[in-house]
Amino acid sequence: MFAEKVIELLKETERNPETIDQFNDEKIRQILEEMQLLFKMNMNDANATMDNKALWTTVQVRHSALERNKRCLLAYLYNRMNKIKTLRWEFGSVLPLDVRELLADEEYDWFTKYSSNLATYMRSLGQDTGYNGIDLTENLKPPKSLYIEVLCVLDYGKLELEDGDVIMLKKNSRHFLPTTECQTLIRQGILKQIT
Amino acid sequence: MDSNEDIYLSDNEEEITAEIVLKTLQSAWQNERLAPEILPHRSDMVECMLGQLQHMERNISKLPKTDLRASIHKMEISRIKFIICNYLKIRLNKIEKYCIPIIKDERQRTDSGTNYLTPSEYKYAQEYLLNMENHMKNVILNKVPGNMQSFDMNKMAEHPNLQTHVFLKAHETVNGVVLEDLVGEDEEIDLEEGSQHILQYKPIADLVKNGKVQLV
Amino acid sequence: MDPYEIEFIGENRIISIIPNFTYDKIYLICGEFGPFRAGLPMNVPLWLALMLKQKQKCRIVPPDWMDMDALENIKEEEKRSRFFTKMPNEHYMVEAKLILGAASEDVPNASEIKTVIKDIWDIRMSKLRTSMDALMKSGGGYGRLDHLTMMEINSVKPLLPAAMDSLLRIQMKSKKTTPANLNVSSFSQSGGSSQNI
Repeated sequence: MFAEKVIELLKETERNPETIDQFNDEKIRQILEEMQLLFKMNMNDANATMDNKALWTTVQVRHSALERNKRCLLAYLYNRMNKIKTLRWEFGSVLPLDVRELLADEEYDWFTKYSSNLATYMRSLGQDTGYNGIDLTENLKPPKSLYIEVLCVLDYGKLELEDGDVIMLKKNSRHFLPTTECQTLIRQGILKQIT
Repeated sequence: MDSNEDIYLSDNEEEITAEIVLKTLQSAWQNERLAPEILPHRSDMVECMLGQLQHMERNISKLPKTDLRASIHKMEISRIKFIICNYLKIRLNKIEKYCIPIIKDERQRTDSGTNYLTPSEYKYAQEYLLNMENHMKNVILNKVPGNMQSFDMNKMAEHPNLQTHVFLKAHETVNGVVLEDLVGEDEEIDLEEGSQHILQYKPIADLVKNGKVQLV
Repeated sequence: MDPYEIEFIGENRIISIIPNFTYDKIYLICGEFGPFRAGLPMNVPLWLALMLKQKQKCRIVPPDWMDMDALENIKEEEKRSRFFTKMPNEHYMVEAKLILGAASEDVPNASEIKTVIKDIWDIRMSKLRTSMDALMKSGGGYGRLDHLTMMEINSVKPLLPAAMDSLLRIQMKSKKTTPANLNVSSFSQSGGSSQNI
């Protein structure tokens, strides 16, 4: 049936609404192929429809299938764009390799552009007052206390704090750190809050 | 620490205190958080507050790390930063989601000088839309049959639902708010100072924008 | 809004503490507080009170309303009234939760107080459910909800606004499909649908 594959594609996305799956290159190629085929068939029949009303209906159905395919493909892509945006807010401008591999090359390009547009915007904040930008991916939660106790989940290495102190983040070590300075590491799964 | 000095806003010479700037910012954040559409920006308040924070941070750096006052100021700074970051982030989320209608409306508003976005936000919106369009073209549109390749702004546009219901508290008395009724029997209500209501956003959108009501 | 955001807003409320240290006035962006005199009561924002309490630098003075007699009266009044009564504090739940959580030893009869506040909350929530039901049955276009606190309002989100949105959509659809010659008033049971809750 027409436009069946594209529904499979959307269902696939719906199965994991929170996480991003591997970009389905192959299926998209097949859908685009189906579209070219439908289009060709319609071109061939277009001239004949003048005398053949039944054929005209066929052309209409194919046209609807074409529109549906296009719409669903864009929905698939749009949905992934939203997920990729979330990645930027969670991981920052550098994606972990295993996440990066899930994106198509064009999607990674888009991620880079999204990321740099966001960075440009954030740099513009507070310029009049001498702040060189504000990182909006920090301070996501209302602060409860200035310091929190964290457990280091994996070997990370040195971390320099804003006050100049350098601490060593080793697997299973516990630290008492400024809340604002370890949020990113917590999101990245390097630290775990234990208080 | 001397943070209680008065602040002058450059565009109007009215004198306001940091405390009032903070209150205004907090209420702008709350409204932005709860309104379905993007509201007129308050970058005057944001910039002013960032100036205060900067000043405060410089002063704290002179205090010993374990000084109690330093921790108190740091806590306040981090509370205010949360408001600012959350406020600006919510705006970005709306700008991304509704970028097509927002850019369209903003063009008209800029002509009349009643723009809702800051110049940086406007630039961000345009760049965002351009990136989205290019991405869709690269991956899909350029590969579909010739007569279907257009990026149709009207079809791609997502609009905020202005008819959604919101909770509000009236800051001051507003009489004669007209609630449209579907059967043509419009109903008029009065919002007395301090009273709370749940109603459609659309008829009270202007009251949110001019600060007469607070979304809650 | 998330409950932790409401809590954050509630933390701006001013409450009384008795510090155990002496310090000059502190000039915060949200206002000036102090001077701190060991043993003398003074006002600070709730977030600062909690912070000082955590550092064992103060005792929290329970707000006037956090008192068994006062709360029992509020509870009775709430039971008696058809409408929501005005709470002594628009963030009573946040204040109670935070103060009783961090400084229950500073509040006489803390556990009884916790129970009676929970009772008041429960009475109000059940009233709220009844009101929501009435609001929806009357056509659900508009409702007045004086004296509900932010936390209480938040507890019916997104359910109530979403239900009202859906109802509106259904009404709009049924209006669109109404044939022109049909008596419009038969669809207007929901007309003038205001509801005091």
